[in-house]
Amino acid sequence: MNTNLQPQSPPLHEYVIERINVGVFSVNRDMAIVLWNRFMESHSGLRAEDVIGKNLFECFPELPRDMLERKINSVFILKNFAFTTWEQRPYIFKFAHNRPVTGGIDHMQQNCTFMPVKDAEGEVQHVCVSLLDVTDTSIYQNMLKKAMQSLAEASNRDGLTGIYNRRFLEETLAKEFSRVRRYGGNMSLVLLDLDHFKNVNDTHGHLAGDEVLRNAAQRVTAGLRQSDTAGRYGGEEFALILPETTSEGAEILAERLRARIADQPVQHENIAIPISISAGIAQWMPHMTRYENLIEAADVALYKAKDSGRNCVKVAQVQASNDGDARSQPTGT
Amino acid sequence: MSIVTLSADQTDALQEIVNIAMGQAGDSLARVLDTFVVLSVPRIRLIEAEQVSQSVAALMDDATTEVTAVRQSFSSHLRGEAIVIFTSGSVSALSDLMGYEHSVDAQTEKEVLFDVSNILVGACLNGVAEQLDADLTFSAPSIISENVTPDRVLTGNNLPWNYCLKVEVNFTLEEKNFKSHLLIMMAEDAIATLGESLNEFIAAI
Repeated sequence: MNTNLQPQSPPLHEYVIERINVGVFSVNRDMAIVLWNRFMESHSGLRAEDVIGKNLFECFPELPRDMLERKINSVFILKNFAFTTWEQRPYIFKFAHNRPVTGGIDHMQQNCTFMPVKDAEGEVQHVCVSLLDVTDTSIYQNMLKKAMQSLAEASNRDGLTGIYNRRFLEETLAKEFSRVRRYGGNMSLVLLDLDHFKNVNDTHGHLAGDEVLRNAAQRVTAGLRQSDTAGRYGGEEFALILPETTSEGAEILAERLRARIADQPVQHENIAIPISISAGIAQWMPHMTRYENLIEAADVALYKAKDSGRNCVKVAQVQASNDGDARSQPTGT
Repeated sequence: MSIVTLSADQTDALQEIVNIAMGQAGDSLARVLDTFVVLSVPRIRLIEAEQVSQSVAALMDDATTEVTAVRQSFSSHLRGEAIVIFTSGSVSALSDLMGYEHSVDAQTEKEVLFDVSNILVGACLNGVAEQLDADLTFSAPSIISENVTPDRVLTGNNLPWNYCLKVEVNFTLEEKNFKSHLLIMMAEDAIATLGESLNEFIAAI
């Protein structure tokens, strides 16, 4: 009596390769498919008997052929692993994924490993590819990235006015400063200060003061070039970082800004509050080794503007003194 | 703390093995990249965790040059991590070489760096493994630091080891303005295993 009535099962490893929830396929040196597991069958819609013995690129004309041939050939030649990751190349095969409703992406995101399959002599006869579905990982990763971006954006903004804050200004200034020091060219910094701001608060209250700051911030940032950076530097002080701009160019811009602000009072609860700004400008000079030097120079010019009766623009001018040390001296405009 | 280190004989054997492996690597790289590859004589050193940042910085002629580093781990008989350091901006020479199309965006740039790292690392380490009768498995490459000064590629903080074996090789491509540095690093517990493999290698010759 035969107790073993069950049909012969395949060896365990064959069964596992066939049924595992990972794409597994192999090609030979002619790029003909020699192995195609069930994961590949169900996602491609092509059965093993349809593709085995056929050229991979004839079965799937939409594959990125140049890249894949290069990868697979390097595995044959170098007897080495090769990889693709979803972050650089989201997919190789245009497979559907299991987030058709909530995914927000087009195809299954894939990580692939290309493994050399050596014969007894150590020669690579086949390349075996394992394909992992990393769609969920990619979705979470992208959500995380977006969250990080909005956090980074929020940490660069001033809470009251919504324009860039001092932290971001200093970061940008430091970056721009090292660029100009390394590659040359021009850059200018403009410091702007609202005149008699304390009076606004004292006379009209802090809510009016806040409104003045918000309004001034909007006018300071309006009409700048893409490469310019404007932000709130401190209390009632604003700063403009102007790459590739000489002090003459900065002066024209600052003067326009000054006029735009002085021309129109801020409306708050039916009261017109007249405002004006003073501005100090400094252009980067080769003797300035730290970005703080540029801030100091602009600050000196700003104080000069305040001393000259406010509502005006002053430029720091660099003069080499007798001991060879160059200093910034403000001059009137 | 007892330091597991390599004996003079073991170090000599390793130097010889790595020399041979690099010769083969240069050859295979030339075939894949279709250009002549110049490799330096490998330098083998035992370094402490505190020295790691300094030793990476010392690779570069200019300490202010920004670099991007790609890492890859290898395991099974030998266990460790390989790090390839590229000077930022050498990517254009490479993408050209790897046959990518002209317009190289940021994602493709990384793919090029990964491809080249993978080839350098695989070619060198497989040559070493073959001679030691080992068979290695590799992880996918990933970026560990991007556009940083060399001293910031690896810092002594948070390293789970005290000392490690470092093999250093420099690559230059003839005709191309391209230079990169390959570091193969094995932490203390892996050095003992390497020592055993080296003993077998020495006994067999």
